[in-house]
Amino acid sequence: MRVELEIWRQDGPSEPGRFETHLIDDATPEMSLLELLDRLNDQLAEQGIEPIQFESDCREGICGACGVTVNDRPHGPVPKTPSCRQHLRAFGQVTTLRIEPLRSAGFPVIRDLVVDRSALDRLIQAGGHIDVLTGTAPDADAMLVGHEDAEAALDFAACIGCGACVAACPNGAAHLFAGAKLAHLGLLPHGEQERGRRSKAVVDQLDTEFGPCSSYGECVEVCPAGIPLTAVAAVHKERLRGLFRGRAD
Amino acid sequence: MTVLRAEEQRQTHRRPRPSSFVLKLAMAITGVIFVAFVFVHMIGNLKVYQGAEAFNSYAQWLREVGYPLIPHTGVLWTLRVVLVTSLLVHLIAAVMLWLRGRAARGPHRRRRMMTGLTAFGARTMLLGGVIILVFVIIHLLDLTIGAALAPETYRHADADGTMHAYQNLVASFSRVPMAVFYALSMVVLALHVFHGWRTVLQDVGATGRRLRLVWVTIGAVLAIAILIGNALIPVLVLAGML
Amino acid sequence: MPGLDARLPEGDPLTAWDRRRADYRLVSPANRRKFTVIVVGTGLAGAGAAAALGELGYRVECFTFHDAPRRAHSVAAHGGINAARARKVDGDSIARFVVDTVKGGDFRGREADVVRLATESVRVIDHLQAIGTPFAREYGGQLATRSFGGVQVSRTYYSRGQTGQQLQIAAAQALLRQVERGSVRLHTRTEMLDLIVADNRAQGIVTRNLVTGEITAHPAHAVVLATGGYGSVYFHSTLAMNSNATATWRAHRRGALFASPSFVQFHPTALPVSSHWQSKTTLMSESLRNDGRIWVPSTAGDDRPPNDIPESERDYYLERRYPAYGNLTPRDIASRAARTEIEAGRGVGPLQNSVYLDFRDAIERLGRDTIASRYGNLFEMYYDATGEDPYTVPMRIAPGAHFTMGGLWSDYDQMTTIDGLFVGGEAGSNYHGANRLGANSLLSACVDGWFTLPFSVPNYLAGVGASTELIAPDAPEVTEAIAAVRNRADTLLANNGTRRPATFHRELGEILYRGCGVSRSDTGLRTARDEVRALREEFWADVKVAGAADRLNQELEKAGRVADFLELAELMIDDALDRTESCGAHFRAEYATDEGEARRNDEQWANVSAWETTPEGQHIRHLESLRFDLVPLQVRDYR
Repeated sequence: MRVELEIWRQDGPSEPGRFETHLIDDATPEMSLLELLDRLNDQLAEQGIEPIQFESDCREGICGACGVTVNDRPHGPVPKTPSCRQHLRAFGQVTTLRIEPLRSAGFPVIRDLVVDRSALDRLIQAGGHIDVLTGTAPDADAMLVGHEDAEAALDFAACIGCGACVAACPNGAAHLFAGAKLAHLGLLPHGEQERGRRSKAVVDQLDTEFGPCSSYGECVEVCPAGIPLTAVAAVHKERLRGLFRGRAD
Repeated sequence: MTVLRAEEQRQTHRRPRPSSFVLKLAMAITGVIFVAFVFVHMIGNLKVYQGAEAFNSYAQWLREVGYPLIPHTGVLWTLRVVLVTSLLVHLIAAVMLWLRGRAARGPHRRRRMMTGLTAFGARTMLLGGVIILVFVIIHLLDLTIGAALAPETYRHADADGTMHAYQNLVASFSRVPMAVFYALSMVVLALHVFHGWRTVLQDVGATGRRLRLVWVTIGAVLAIAILIGNALIPVLVLAGML
Repeated sequence: MPGLDARLPEGDPLTAWDRRRADYRLVSPANRRKFTVIVVGTGLAGAGAAAALGELGYRVECFTFHDAPRRAHSVAAHGGINAARARKVDGDSIARFVVDTVKGGDFRGREADVVRLATESVRVIDHLQAIGTPFAREYGGQLATRSFGGVQVSRTYYSRGQTGQQLQIAAAQALLRQVERGSVRLHTRTEMLDLIVADNRAQGIVTRNLVTGEITAHPAHAVVLATGGYGSVYFHSTLAMNSNATATWRAHRRGALFASPSFVQFHPTALPVSSHWQSKTTLMSESLRNDGRIWVPSTAGDDRPPNDIPESERDYYLERRYPAYGNLTPRDIASRAARTEIEAGRGVGPLQNSVYLDFRDAIERLGRDTIASRYGNLFEMYYDATGEDPYTVPMRIAPGAHFTMGGLWSDYDQMTTIDGLFVGGEAGSNYHGANRLGANSLLSACVDGWFTLPFSVPNYLAGVGASTELIAPDAPEVTEAIAAVRNRADTLLANNGTRRPATFHRELGEILYRGCGVSRSDTGLRTARDEVRALREEFWADVKVAGAADRLNQELEKAGRVADFLELAELMIDDALDRTESCGAHFRAEYATDEGEARRNDEQWANVSAWETTPEGQHIRHLESLRFDLVPLQVRDYR
């Protein structure tokens, strides 16, 4: 099949970007979006054009490294699926693809389709962790965790950190990401002692680097890990809880 | 790239004050106050269906409620102060959050959203808010203050406190453009209430599935009640039934 | 040539690790911040080591070529993590764990290290649970376990089918906690391209900032490499696109011996390659073999759709050949059996390079809902990748390069043959012998990172002494290493060739799958060696690296990695040629029983081959002889 690509090129963080148009004549329905870009890069190399830089790593949807915007949809036209698992066969009649980086002021472009998502890591750094020194943990079997709590925690912990939620948000908010972490840790008995402190640290960082949430719900539509909208509510739940208690826990 | 500590990063990249968390909460609290007010206001408006006397004496009662414990119009003025303060807080917070959202998104706006009605509700919050603000001003001039846009036959309260609210209302709504404006404003208000109410869930951190369902349903009922209860009045006036 | 000394503790093997820890020298808390330790890699081993050493008070510099520590490929492991906690009454114990692992590795791993693995496995689970892993729980609230291939007890702890991800996220956030505390400095998008060796000690690394292209020397008192395995040398593998061997290979070229490079595990349930542009052979969890039945048509070249092939014309070859274990035979055996069928022309699929994994009987027996609850996400993933519905059409699977048991040689303390250069996780080589058991890789990475290196690195540092200065930035070893890195980049960029680096990688992978894959032979290996040498020459003559050195340039990154793969591949082939026996994943057609099973040669080969590569590129083999005190040598028999 023939696919027309309108693709974002940008030489560096402070350079202006532009769209380039390329045609691929031998695309196949089995190809994933990223394999289409692999194909394009081979073609560009043959034409003496520098290949397009884009990020991808595991190509099975778990590492969270990949992510491009396709026809205004973060990750691509198939909902809740990472770019590496978007296959052309699922695109229906669409054969013109406009491919851009994940867009958000919090994700400055490094080059072409590669963006800097380190702001997400700073959220984790600020407080998305549990303060247990190596070797000091109690017996994991002695700390009971209900089956359902463990499963619910895992529902939130499944976040792959791709940043599509931020790119989908008209406000550049990262509440789905931050809330997933707070909900995940909030459901586990370990780290309960710093639950209040954690929520303050994470929410302060969230407010520093990202926009406010207006409940558009777009984040949920693109999330490859299926994080539910309740994660967004968990941000304020945890923060309010911390605020009312006024203590570290 | 060497990773900065979040703390170091915050030194160059200051956390905005008041924080978005506080602003969102402020909007939620003031928003709930407004919804409560609008709903009660709508209940009061239902008196109009019982006829002029009921409506006028309700208007009079509003000025006397609590007397003699509370001076005349005491409750009314307390409400007015609370509402004006809430309005200012709601408005300022909305504008600040809107500006922050735009800045956080950057120059490449989000287009072709997926969530349909929800996104529509969210996207039109600011515009809806502005329309409601304009409506409130017109409504106050028209039927409370009785200036500028008020009907020519507008009558202020008599010296003995007798109100002419019903006659003023009918006079105002007999003007077609005004009636249409009122009715359309109620549609905007209902949408604003529906989405705002739903957003409150996120702002107060309600994560329980049942609670969320109940809350959203209440929001929908409130929005529809406000729409029907209020918007029917101008329609019925135009239809000559009031 | 004297054998290599792994510095194993003497005496009772089961308590050896306790005694060794008691013997380790310590560094006083006040002196710890005088030591700088570099950790390369942020997977389970790297993040663990960096966080633990940071907690202890050492100055830690941690590097990853990813944009974030969480991306390391540990994230992609599905099944679980083994631990010999032995809480259930199913007869598990430390000793049983050791037996399973040593035997599973076909007696080519180091028993003493496996004992340490088993001993520390107990608190690995405690620690990872405490730092945030939501392990699966029973309704009573206790940890749940499942059983995995090659063992008869239930000792695998898990978080659905995403255990690796959950452990990795927990480890990455523990690392970020230290970053926030200021005890670890993290350098993302920074790739290690050389090791600085001076006075016979590892004293730092040279890195390239992948965004700005800046080449920098980072001095240190000790260096830990936790940079993962080299399975992506096969091009199509279950590894990530960016997984590479550059850090370990550069260390090897600076003098660290490389052990058992030819020991590569081929995962039997990978997706087959079905088209040219398919970028990888995604792994489908081994757990599928619990309910799926593996078969091929009995006659070669039968191209009827699978559901049209009657029962009598299907060959359930694993059940036929290994009735005791059936579809659950260990990975090496399952992969080899599949390869045999495919080579005999009975392979299925458009390229006839796969076998069926059929759930028809399981769905009939247990119902679609049960199967969906067990494997729903895997089925979805399969559908996603292939467009076929495994509920109605059998899955197609094929052996794919997966895990490398080989890696940098290290002694019992995880120190390589270069003093001060340590290794952790899949980059190392000591636990898994010639074949790794499922769910042991997450464990070995965690044990190395959290509970071995934090003891053994300080022991080394105590010997170095707190008054030892870091190497000076203008020391000749530093400037030489920087110049070497810069030269290589310049040479690659200046080369006036025509082919993209990735095309060489693809070709190399084809050569290796053919000549040094699931089954090897003398002639096949020799041909492959010639082909690799020719390809390497062609690479340097004809590679074309587009772009510039002073910005993000993935072509340049790829070129450097492929150049190293081209050298490593030859060493893998030499090792496979040299080891004239079949053991575990290393199967030499010449050394098989009459039934086609692997035939080990314990008299000659009960040892580890650790290779040296001279500056001229000559390979010299050193041997470390292996001792088995707890597990008597025996033939693996899964029939």
